[in-house]
Amino acid sequence: MKRVRDLSIAQRLAAMFALAALLVFALVGVALYHVLQTQIVRYQHAELATKLRYVVGSVALCESRERWLKVEDKVQNLISSDRSTKVWAWSSNPDYRIGDGEPTISAATSRRDLGMGRLLLPGAEYPYRTLQEQVPALGNRPAVRVSVAIDSKPYVSALRWFTLIMLALGVCGIGLVALLGHWIARVGLRPLQRLSNEAQTLSPSNLSQRLQPAQLPPELGRLTGTFNGALDRLEAAYTRLDAFNADVAHELRTPLTNLMGQTQVALSRPREAAQLEDVLQSNLEELERMRDIINDMLFLSRAGQGDIALDRVCVPLAEEVAKTGEFLEYLLEEAGMQLRIDGAVDAWIDTSLFRRAMTNLLHNAVQHATPGSEIVVELRGGDAAHSDCGSGARVAVRNHGAGVPPQHLARMFDRFYRVDAAREHRGERHHGLGLSIVKAIASLHGGTVFADSREGRTTVGFSLATPQPHSPA
Amino acid sequence: MKLLIVEDEAKTADYLRDGLAEQGWAVDVARDGTTGLHLARELDYDVIVLDVMLPGMDGFAVLRELRLRKQTPVIMLTARDRIDDRVHGLGAGADDYLVKPFSFIELLARLQALVRRGRQQEPTELQIGDLQINLLARRAFRDATRLDLTGKEFALLALLAQRRGQILSKTVIAAQVWDINFDSHTNVVEVAIKRLRAKIDGPFRNKLLHTVRGMGYVLEAREGDEDDDAPVAGRTSA
Repeated sequence: MKRVRDLSIAQRLAAMFALAALLVFALVGVALYHVLQTQIVRYQHAELATKLRYVVGSVALCESRERWLKVEDKVQNLISSDRSTKVWAWSSNPDYRIGDGEPTISAATSRRDLGMGRLLLPGAEYPYRTLQEQVPALGNRPAVRVSVAIDSKPYVSALRWFTLIMLALGVCGIGLVALLGHWIARVGLRPLQRLSNEAQTLSPSNLSQRLQPAQLPPELGRLTGTFNGALDRLEAAYTRLDAFNADVAHELRTPLTNLMGQTQVALSRPREAAQLEDVLQSNLEELERMRDIINDMLFLSRAGQGDIALDRVCVPLAEEVAKTGEFLEYLLEEAGMQLRIDGAVDAWIDTSLFRRAMTNLLHNAVQHATPGSEIVVELRGGDAAHSDCGSGARVAVRNHGAGVPPQHLARMFDRFYRVDAAREHRGERHHGLGLSIVKAIASLHGGTVFADSREGRTTVGFSLATPQPHSPA
Repeated sequence: MKLLIVEDEAKTADYLRDGLAEQGWAVDVARDGTTGLHLARELDYDVIVLDVMLPGMDGFAVLRELRLRKQTPVIMLTARDRIDDRVHGLGAGADDYLVKPFSFIELLARLQALVRRGRQQEPTELQIGDLQINLLARRAFRDATRLDLTGKEFALLALLAQRRGQILSKTVIAAQVWDINFDSHTNVVEVAIKRLRAKIDGPFRNKLLHTVRGMGYVLEAREGDEDDDAPVAGRTSA
């Protein structure tokens, strides 16, 4: 037995059409049956009434025994001309009776003085329909109750036939509707089949391939649009990942090349101890560079997976910025730069991560600012200048320098991205992950990063959100 | 100073044994957890270096069994640095935790810190060659000349002097002096050392503050100084 969810759409539609047909046929059948039955009763009543009037008319004029015999003849004619009709007359005087007025018949017919009744005669297949009337006494004749009955067999069998035919037609109709429904659904779903075939031809080797929405009905056109949108995002993510892999490979291969090359050169002939020491020291530097890249990558990857537990406390940000400034004091001094902290706001932060982000931002600013200029750290509350840890915060580092061309601003926070690939900072261990780490730290705090640069004034910073009550604070 | 290394990776165990032996430690090596636990229970070590990933019986299990009988200080080594691992290790009774790849001098510093923990209070007066440091008064003299140091410079000097003869990495210095507990990728420590060196060594013949390229910095009185009473720290305390 197939479960419902295993059925194809065409099969489901066919089944639903069949159900609908069943319902319609049943309703129509019941209604028609009811109408026919009512009509039959009305017809029977009219026939009974005509016959009753004929008999009652004769009886009403009869006032003596002689006339009664004529009435009996009339009745006899009526009965013999139509075998399905029965007539009874009943009165207190046995002379004025017609038919074998057995007490059962009398009782049955007398139960209803007016209107139609039913009477099942012994040996009859179907009940008779009856109608009776009381004729008042006239002359010698006492009051007579006249009953007319007609056999309902033709009517009942007509109704039976009708029902049978309706049922047969209904079953055929339902079957036909189901078959047609299945066919219609398959024809209607043909565009879906086309779409599915087209989707099967999509391959990872050609990422820019898309589905063609032009030949499709509007419903599927929208689906195709949505699906193509998902493909766009996947392609972008894939391309980013690809570029990222290339960057990682480059960043790790460079020190590896140095390590292998230097070691091979050193081992290629006998060396003085001092020369070997130099090689070892240089190797150590390269190894540290690799360790730094791996550690930063791991940090970014774990931050991306939300795998870093935050230890958030509510502190004045200015103090934390000042501590970072103190750490970088010598660098600022050497570049002749001043650090100014503008604003005061308290926020929920993981102090170690916050200092790491601040170190990266300030270091970045020191490297790109004009010597002798001022670096400003602007601290603002989320919705008020001074707040009590409840409204988040915004930290912006502003410096004056060459500025960042607009096309680089959005990508500054990408991993391994460098505004100027050729620019090297002498003596700096710099591998293009600093601002990515700022971004990761900001998003760990539920915040975002931003960058802006105009007329040599570059502002880079991040926001911090207030932790939700359920998150660790 | 007696030390036990429990580590199954041969190269790691060997370089640790050689390096630590050179620093004056008496080193035993166990290549699996069961042997390690046996040695740790039967012999008395000053400190144990315990790898987490071991064949047969892992580091956590060794530590649990050991703690039933002994309180020998333990440093755990692991390539995994997730927070729950760390909590697990410390919860099981480890005294410190080091993530691979760690630098050798970092391990050395932690080992010395663990062994020092049990000793008496640090002296408040330090003497290295002709350099005198008073930690309480926060004053430093060289040859009776008062050295004019800023607060951070003094903190840096005090750190180097307290761990004299011991190589301090930039990471350790940044953490101890500025409370910066991550690799900042800046040359702040280099600049700070350069400034301190100019003040304490600049005008004097005997240089005390030395750079060990690729590793860090060390403060010690080297050859030609008759007051040299501070060779490598590991040996003095042995």
